[in-house]
Amino acid sequence: MNEPINVYSERAGFGYQTKTLENGLTLLAAPMPGYRGMHAVYATNFGSVDRAFSQNGKTVNLPAGVAHFLEHKMFENEEGDAFTLYAQTGAQANAFTGFERTCYVFSATQQVDQSLDILLSFVSRPYFTAGTVEKEQGIIGQEIKMYDDSPDWRMMFALLRCLYHNCPVKEDIAGTVESIRQITPEMLYACTDAFYAPGNMVLAAAGNVTLEQLENACRRQGLRPAAAPAEKLRLPEPDSIVKSFDTFTMALAQPAVGIAFKEKPFPADCRLEGEIICDMLCELICGDITPLFRRLYDEGLIDGDFSGETCSGADWCAILFTGESKDPKAVQKALLEEIDRLKREGIRQEDFELCRNLMYGEAVGDFESVEGVATDLVSCAMRGEGLFDRMQILSSLTRDKVQQALCEMFRPQYSATVIIRPSGVQQ
Amino acid sequence: MQRKKLTEGVFLSAILADKFKTCRIAIHFLMPSRREDATCAALLPLVLERSCAAWPDMTEFSKKLAGLYGASLSAESTVQGTWRDVSISISGIKDRFALAGESLSAEYARVLFEVAFSPFLVNGAFEEDAVRIEKEKLRQILENEINEKRLYCLRQARRRFFGDSPAGVEKNGYLEELDAVTPKMLTDFYDRMVRTAQIELMVIGADEQAVACQLQSQLDAVQRSCQPLPAFQAMNVLEKPVQASEEMDTVQGKLCLLFTTGRLLDEEEYAAMRVASAIYGSLPTSRLFMNVREKQSLCYYCAAGFSAINGMLSVDSGIEHANARKAQKAILDELYRLQTELVTEKELEDAKRALEGALAGVEDSLYGIENWYLGGILRGSIQTPEQVACRIAPVTAQRVRQVFSMLHLSVVYLLKKGGVADE
Repeated sequence: MNEPINVYSERAGFGYQTKTLENGLTLLAAPMPGYRGMHAVYATNFGSVDRAFSQNGKTVNLPAGVAHFLEHKMFENEEGDAFTLYAQTGAQANAFTGFERTCYVFSATQQVDQSLDILLSFVSRPYFTAGTVEKEQGIIGQEIKMYDDSPDWRMMFALLRCLYHNCPVKEDIAGTVESIRQITPEMLYACTDAFYAPGNMVLAAAGNVTLEQLENACRRQGLRPAAAPAEKLRLPEPDSIVKSFDTFTMALAQPAVGIAFKEKPFPADCRLEGEIICDMLCELICGDITPLFRRLYDEGLIDGDFSGETCSGADWCAILFTGESKDPKAVQKALLEEIDRLKREGIRQEDFELCRNLMYGEAVGDFESVEGVATDLVSCAMRGEGLFDRMQILSSLTRDKVQQALCEMFRPQYSATVIIRPSGVQQ
Repeated sequence: MQRKKLTEGVFLSAILADKFKTCRIAIHFLMPSRREDATCAALLPLVLERSCAAWPDMTEFSKKLAGLYGASLSAESTVQGTWRDVSISISGIKDRFALAGESLSAEYARVLFEVAFSPFLVNGAFEEDAVRIEKEKLRQILENEINEKRLYCLRQARRRFFGDSPAGVEKNGYLEELDAVTPKMLTDFYDRMVRTAQIELMVIGADEQAVACQLQSQLDAVQRSCQPLPAFQAMNVLEKPVQASEEMDTVQGKLCLLFTTGRLLDEEEYAAMRVASAIYGSLPTSRLFMNVREKQSLCYYCAAGFSAINGMLSVDSGIEHANARKAQKAILDELYRLQTELVTEKELEDAKRALEGALAGVEDSLYGIENWYLGGILRGSIQTPEQVACRIAPVTAQRVRQVFSMLHLSVVYLLKKGGVADE
């Protein structure tokens, strides 16, 4: 086995250890003195956007929602379900699926080694039958319906569908009731063979835990490398957007508005810096220190929740501005005008420094919770970044660099608007 | 945690919290919850959060906070049993992380107390424009209540559960009263709050002596006469539960059931109820999760929670519209079993272990610490998580059955889709 690498940040006041096992699994541990609890994340680099792959010369195409479906099924094996075993250790377990990865987690204040054994054993030894798949189709169907009633969720995917022709980021992470009906046990096994292998996974933990505990848990499981590497397949995505406007109705009190911009994805080696710049631009355009926010707020056109966010992956990048408004078109017009003004007049140095300070404070705050640190460790390891890179990039970022990015981004011809109107109200 | 009385009706609770990167200071104004104050009490935090005399412009105030490395200032108004809690809190990174060696925590306390005690007034009242704008925000909050269907269903159920009780006073006030609120009315409410509320100051990870001195100097300018707080109360058992439903254009139905214990529980009973509600519906191995969701597939989520200050157990679930009646029956069947049969030793031990694990982790977050000790202050019984864990350990299966037998169904509320037959 390789020797562990120690990473420490004077500025953050703590550090972590990492090493890669011979089977390819990456381990990371951030012991946090004084914390009673710990949080572990076992993650695979397989998410909702992974809809086709080839392994051993065979191409596998997947319906929408397979990664999320697997997330549900990995809590079960021939002997029973993982929750019953976690109940014997007192750990709280959960899992979540994102666009690019699926994470299995638990938090514990006692019997950590036993909980690590449960985590690794269930996620490493899949068990699917036609009967268990059919039962899960019903449960996930209910989950999909729950999200169908969430305006924020529906807004995000409506915007992404306007922007993307082929990129699977436009599809709901859980899929649809129809798409998950196509899932079979064979399909699930093909996915776990390809992506639930140590070389494609990361085990991270933070809090009252050590790297040695993670290593020992892996040794007890005897995890083996994948039989053959798998290659993810993607359809090329054109630069253009699908459509510039969409609207639909829901049971809401007032309309919701979303304005999205399709941007060029960032190369892997500068993705984090690109995302930091995007986040900062969202603050500089409509954060609560901006004249736009103040004007729209005072005119009653937005509430305090109107904001922008970056949605970025290996081969896509979008900026989404969303909120509620009695006059969505006025908000859209004002936002586009403000972006244009900032491009022409430039970002003020004072505003840039305030935003940088604010984001630095958030970065420090992110190191406060065991959940936050363990989750960030996984994210960084999968993206080839370090946990403290964000602070480093923030400290060296300049106004000119952010201004240059602003001028190259937010192009109106690559922008789409979605309005959700209250049911029963005609456009 | 150390709690001490600073002066009549003013208390300071200090928690060291060295391990955290951030610190948090919160001031809670506790008053009797009154129907006639509700709309002002809901509007006040929105106006206070905008600005204060030292930074009267909202944008400049936001810039001040951004300059403090994005310190987060928040004002809130909640109803806690029969009490109204108007709180203002600030949290931000500790001094040692400041890039230029600034003394941040002293500045956090200054900002917090400026907001709490020196609001931006014009001719002795809150600024008219600020009140007008924030009234519109409150109107949106009230009107947008239907957007979050799960919460909306729970609130509709609570309205029927509490009726005219002080515990049922609306957290966000009343839409029909909003137009009539004037800057003077809001200022009068604010003045009364500062003069008569019980003040609980919570200092977590900051220098409590310095914060206490700053508070004391603010209070020196106020003529205080602290008003006593009413006792909490549980709702009476009803002869017949209230069954209500509402049609809404949703994909998934929502079902909420509320139960009353008929009286407040003592600490020993509350420990048993924590175990009981965990077994019933707040763990992934609970009866509701395993039987109603997993075995019968009647809902996507189905969870139970107990409110000690109201003696109320809630069960809320997301269901297929057509399954509403079946889901209600299954939820009540599980409760009936717990009231009439003993839980297994394994269920009992698993629930205790989960609760003990969760209790051990309470002090791993600033918010968790504040919430925990504020809950103890409200109930008049401040205990550490370890002390509560000691009460949970001896709970028996018989005790679980006994406390569950205290629960009586009061309200069933259903959000349903028009035209769907309930099988």
